Amino acid sequence: MRKKSIGIPRALLYYYYFPFWLKLFSELNLKTVISDNTSRDLLDQGVKKSLSEICVPIKVIIGHILNLDQKDVDYIFLPRFRSLRKNVVLCPKFLGLPDMVSHSLPSLKAEIIADQIDAKSDDIAQYFNHQKLAKTFNIPKREMKKALNKASSFWQRYRNLLFEGYLIDDFSNIEEIEILEKLISKFENSSKPPSSKKEELKIAEKGEVLDIALIGYVYNVFDQYINMDIINKLKEMGVRVHTFSMAAEEIVEKELSKLRKPMFWEFTNKLYGAAEHYLKNDKIDGLIHLTAFGCGPDSMLGQILEVDAKEYEKTFMTLRIDEQTGESHIMTRIEAFIDLLRLKKEKK
Amino acid sequence: MRLSFPYMGPTIVYKKLFELLGHDVVMPPRPNKEIIDLGVKYSPEFACFPFKVITGIYLKLMEENVETLVTSGGHGPCRAGYYGEVHKKILKDLGYEVEIIVIDSPHDDYKYFYDVIKKLKGDSSWLKVAQVIKTIYEMTKAMDEIEKKVETLRAYNDNGIINQIWMEAQTDFYQIKSINEIKRIKNKYLNKLLQYKESIPEVDQRYKIGIIGEIYVVLEQSINNQIEEKVNYFGFEVERSQYLADWIRENAFPFIGRDLEEIKVKGEEFIEIEIGGHAQANIGHAIDFKEKGFDGIIHLKPFGCLPELVSQSVMDDLSEKYEIPVLTISIDEQTADANVLTRVEAFLDMIKEKDLREVM
Repeated sequence: MRKKSIGIPRALLYYYYFPFWLKLFSELNLKTVISDNTSRDLLDQGVKKSLSEICVPIKVIIGHILNLDQKDVDYIFLPRFRSLRKNVVLCPKFLGLPDMVSHSLPSLKAEIIADQIDAKSDDIAQYFNHQKLAKTFNIPKREMKKALNKASSFWQRYRNLLFEGYLIDDFSNIEEIEILEKLISKFENSSKPPSSKKEELKIAEKGEVLDIALIGYVYNVFDQYINMDIINKLKEMGVRVHTFSMAAEEIVEKELSKLRKPMFWEFTNKLYGAAEHYLKNDKIDGLIHLTAFGCGPDSMLGQILEVDAKEYEKTFMTLRIDEQTGESHIMTRIEAFIDLLRLKKEKK
Repeated sequence: MRLSFPYMGPTIVYKKLFELLGHDVVMPPRPNKEIIDLGVKYSPEFACFPFKVITGIYLKLMEENVETLVTSGGHGPCRAGYYGEVHKKILKDLGYEVEIIVIDSPHDDYKYFYDVIKKLKGDSSWLKVAQVIKTIYEMTKAMDEIEKKVETLRAYNDNGIINQIWMEAQTDFYQIKSINEIKRIKNKYLNKLLQYKESIPEVDQRYKIGIIGEIYVVLEQSINNQIEEKVNYFGFEVERSQYLADWIRENAFPFIGRDLEEIKVKGEEFIEIEIGGHAQANIGHAIDFKEKGFDGIIHLKPFGCLPELVSQSVMDDLSEKYEIPVLTISIDEQTADANVLTRVEAFLDMIKEKDLREVM
């Protein structure tokens, strides 16, 4: 009998959890397929099959799901992320994602595996979060638990590197678990600092090196197609990029504890915590809030950050991306922002 | 305290509640073009429409020296639960000194809840508070009863005549001081409406439309382009998924909402878990309306509403499976009256046409 294959859409929280899933599936010896990088064609398919007013990241993931279906996978792995912390959930669209997919894409051939994830922390390796997966592939409980543990510790190593200052970009193009393992070991033993901490950068043009905090969800910041490769554009202009994934948990928690009422959405809270931390940090020259068209939680977060940035006298810009963003528009905005920051720095 | 509150859905509930507790209540202005423009100007671009309207109302209220604004909170994940916190930021940033009291569930933070309630209670005794809540609940139940009659009768009579009676009834209810007056007012207006009873045709000639959606745009006529009157105008009866008393039941005494639970269970067929707002319940209501023999559903939502986008995504499938036509309308500051009217008219024509073909 042909071995059944399972597909993972390269969208939404893929960028946050992919080492975990890659390791898990390789330990379980499953035939894994990952959807292609986001492209015009893939995005167009997603746009056609989703509501026009829904946010871009959902359109993107619909495109990736269709892409996997065209690759003839048997199953699509689409966990329903509900909560990663007591009393805090994710955006309603995450909660309803499997429902949306199964009711709006009736022609899908592949079967959706939608385990509900209810974890107490970002570590989602509990057995009850993977019961449907285990059942579908007839994996005994003991074996599943063993694989989950291994995947969890592997993911922790990846995460520690992120806290040290590596970007998710440094890893996210790798699909082979062996290569990923090697790379992670290499970084762990490397004496060179990650690019966000390098003292000197090779800059094409003259000008001082800047530190910019790029605040946005993993699926906006690290999907190079949808954000027009903003990170590399910034790097080329002599910018050290800081993202929320570099802010350690304690920092985020500390900022959140100052709120009477934190927001309801896990990753929005993480962004808030990291952004407040960067707003107070003298080393950071400016903040860019990278948000997708139609993002609800970001409309609240953006307003809060805008007011707070004024208070801390930090330069702040909102950059909105959608399915039709032109590259020149992003370029012009970034260039203007960087010129402004440099001018400010020189005056001091 | 000189206080006010957002003009959001059951304003009469808030007004009566605070008034009976002895506060100096400033009635918030009804949303209009000026208020919406003001709100849009000072709100984040992608905030949902109700947020923008409330921003406008708050800013307008600032002209009346209001000391305190009271609003409801929530524990999400619908954005509405966080409005209060963001409005605090916006008003402070604009330089207004006003206290915004957000009523959150006691489950989230008991001490905070207790402090808030004590503040709002003022000098009234707890017994008095309980009486006030009871009075208001009875009042809304009476109002809902009249409104449901209005929504039926308007379909077969001149909108203006029936509306006149309905408006008089509301004015009378706004004035009540005690629970004893409710019954008298209710009967007075039910009797007035009774004389139009003859106009209701035979059962097989009646068309009914159910309105579901996000609570604010469903309840607030000044925001939803008077959608009910529009539907009535074309000779269709209307019933909503939400009425004032439902709102109170859900918020003040969650333990008596058995039938609401059942509706939610119906919704699980399409949305498996609670995802915030009323998304799951709305799906349940849609199925419920079909089972009650309604001819179509109008689904209202603010543009970009998080939970309702999920329910809209599954709506096509539901419509096909249960064979009930659904029209979804997104409402925001750009929604034009003529646009809504045209869409509603086309939708209702389609339903009648479909019905005629089935008969022939």
